[in-house]
Amino acid sequence: MARTARMPIRAQRNDRHNILMRHPRILANVGRDEFVGRDAELRQLVSYAQRTDPERGLIVLGAPNAGTSEFLRQAYDELFLGRSYSIPVYFAFGKSGSPAETAAEFFQSFLRQYIAYRRVDPTLSTVPLTLHDLAELALPTDYEAVTLLLESFERERAGGDGISFLRFCLNVPRKLGTETKRRFFPLVDCVGLAGAEKEQVAIGREVVRAFLRRDQYVAIGGLRRHLRNLINTAGAPQDNNETINLDQLSDDRSAELLDRLGRRMSVDSNEQTRDLIAQQLNGSPFFITALAQAARDRHTPLTSFLNCQRLYVDELMGGRIGRHFSDLIEHIAPQAQTRRTLLRVLYESGLSETRKASVFAWKKRLGVEASEFDRVIEALHIHELANSSGGSMVELNTGSTAWMDYLRAHYQMEVAGEARALTVASALLETLKRAPQAMARKYRREAALGLNELLARFNCQELPSSLFHYERFAEAHTGVDTDTVNAALDAEADLLRVPQIVHVADCGAFTASARTEEKRCAVGHGFDAADYTDESETVWIAAEIDSKLEASAELTKEWCDRLLHVARECNFNRTHLWLISPEGFTFEASALLRERGAYSSSHQQIELLAARLAPPAEAKPPDTGVEYEMVIPMGADTELISAHTVEQIARRINFRPEAINQIKLALVEACINAAEHSLSPDRKIYQRFRVESDKLVVTVASRGVVPAKVIDQNGGQDGEARSRRGWGLKLIKSLMDEVEFERVDDGTQLRMTKYRK
Amino acid sequence: MADTPGATPIQARCVGDTAIIYASDYLNKLSGERIERECKRQLESGRHAVVINFRDTELVNSIGVSILMGVIDAAEQSKARIIFSDVNTHTANLFEMLGLTRHVSVVKDEEEALALTREGN
Repeated sequence: MARTARMPIRAQRNDRHNILMRHPRILANVGRDEFVGRDAELRQLVSYAQRTDPERGLIVLGAPNAGTSEFLRQAYDELFLGRSYSIPVYFAFGKSGSPAETAAEFFQSFLRQYIAYRRVDPTLSTVPLTLHDLAELALPTDYEAVTLLLESFERERAGGDGISFLRFCLNVPRKLGTETKRRFFPLVDCVGLAGAEKEQVAIGREVVRAFLRRDQYVAIGGLRRHLRNLINTAGAPQDNNETINLDQLSDDRSAELLDRLGRRMSVDSNEQTRDLIAQQLNGSPFFITALAQAARDRHTPLTSFLNCQRLYVDELMGGRIGRHFSDLIEHIAPQAQTRRTLLRVLYESGLSETRKASVFAWKKRLGVEASEFDRVIEALHIHELANSSGGSMVELNTGSTAWMDYLRAHYQMEVAGEARALTVASALLETLKRAPQAMARKYRREAALGLNELLARFNCQELPSSLFHYERFAEAHTGVDTDTVNAALDAEADLLRVPQIVHVADCGAFTASARTEEKRCAVGHGFDAADYTDESETVWIAAEIDSKLEASAELTKEWCDRLLHVARECNFNRTHLWLISPEGFTFEASALLRERGAYSSSHQQIELLAARLAPPAEAKPPDTGVEYEMVIPMGADTELISAHTVEQIARRINFRPEAINQIKLALVEACINAAEHSLSPDRKIYQRFRVESDKLVVTVASRGVVPAKVIDQNGGQDGEARSRRGWGLKLIKSLMDEVEFERVDDGTQLRMTKYRK
Repeated sequence: MADTPGATPIQARCVGDTAIIYASDYLNKLSGERIERECKRQLESGRHAVVINFRDTELVNSIGVSILMGVIDAAEQSKARIIFSDVNTHTANLFEMLGLTRHVSVVKDEEEALALTREGN
């Protein structure tokens, strides 16, 4: 029997994937492999386009500069190349001025893309073609329908009513679909309509009304605040639409994007600088690309914080990032004097603690007509430069670092009249000083226990009570291995039923005065039992506190007071406080917590608790080392591996046994120090052992941050044994001949030298 | 040999009123806490002296030392005597450097330690 050679389904999928990744782009500006961090969203859109039940539209709500237009263009390319069930048609509104111009452009673009798809010729999607060309290029089977459309188009255009003509053109995909029995999938890009100009508002309404119907396939994308308003004011159905949220990229995806851009543009970068840029540009693909382009244009590698910040400041002052904000501000306030006042009002709002001011005060200071004032506020709001809910207050949006930096710099130059050189210099100094702090915040966020996620998993489970009472836990389980602790917890009779938590957010989201760090203090609202009554309503406030040893009563009291203040300020009823300290709490602190009815846990308890609420994560295999250079994971006594390695090296070069022991202990202490204090993002310790003719130089480095007070503690105190801990660096200094502790761009490095005597 | 329930067994024995506890090869946080726990157990059961024998101990880190300080505190509060024995030169230097020897007797071996406890009685 003859066998037909068929490609396995998986191979076919891979083949299609490869075609999509490698094929030249049609409408997209960047290659598919450089379009990072949107895979899930693209899959959702493509899957939507292939459905057969046209019941609701797809809304793509994009954050400013998150790449919404490019997302829709990438989707177009994917649907075109994938020859999907629907014919994709992309159009970006807001480029032309009047409704009539917009209508004509849309009509031509639509027909061009239809013919390109039918002829399987992507190049036709972008070339300028006259109406005559379009008729000539239509396939014979489409010719009649296309020429009829062209005749109608000319007739409607001659009618002279811009809005009627626009309605006619926006309805063309539907008409042609009916004529040809083909289905179109419009990808409607409304990002350019977010200008709040009268004409654009009118065009936006017509677009939404034409496409967002109950029975039409469509993906409409735009700036999230603008699009929601537009759908609302157009009276289009909004209850049943599917939604894709395009937020800024995560830190990892931002770093990946920069890495890929760097490879294409031949711009070197390293892990540290990529992380810094991701932090500083808040994951905006547009800003990240702008910085990479600037680095390429100036032949400046992104390999040090100094290079990155120089380029960043140049970008703010006159590069793509600066021009982006300047264009926006100019668009929002075209009059020079209003613009200047606007910069002043925005900047000064940022100086107040709440960053808010009354609408009345803004209006008075801006001194413009009521309608113009409303337009300015609306534009600031939709571009997320300020927040206004239409109420009595306007709040400066401080979420974007680049926006805040732009505002500060341009206020100094354009309003305060500062010399440009001074502004540049102070911006550069500030950003350099800020870089380690930004990284520290990132590492602290990443090193956080994930209280939000932990609280969110509370669902009326009954858990060993000792996991919430440090004193009891320490009494029963100190010095006991994990398996045995778990067995004891399994057998524990005293159980605590946790509530069902239905909403969790950072404490800072409830009150600005909380003085808590992101991801390290969480508020969970829920019910003690799954009966939703007033009586069972409860609020858990959980906070991670920093303490190297068991937390003292003083520190514990301070945190209890702080969290109670939050509860009072936010009118939380039935509040439970839960403090988490790495090493637990002292006897006195535990007594205080008992008195206050607060829960307390150490990191060990939290790990055990997390494991009980979810399956444990797989352990990562330890890294293996290389000759005279090794990387070890932090924890699990891995410092002994380093100690044995350095012992072998020191023996080879004939160090005396006493000196070998000193080197070993110094290395052990350095490793413990790195693991304890660095908030390392990768949890690794990098070591180099350099043998020279008369000495051995050992370098221990880790990424992350070491608080200044730790360095002082380590080095600054005398060796009073009863002061406990904090002896690491002092010990190292006593054991080795030379010790240098230095900060590097992203972390710390300890260099220790021992001479052969 | 005395066991802490659930922990890796720690070696210990009693000679009259004195408990002898054997430290492991690497004295760090976990093994230090095991010694601390065993010491407290022995003190609570009324021993008047505790000898910690370091014959197997190759390396003591600073966290281990800080836990030993806790053990010394606990012994002082119980009015019990604490003695370190069989400490290798390197570890003895470390104890000296960190000031532990101001609060504890360091002797050559167990025999000497037991003799010292008898003297105290």
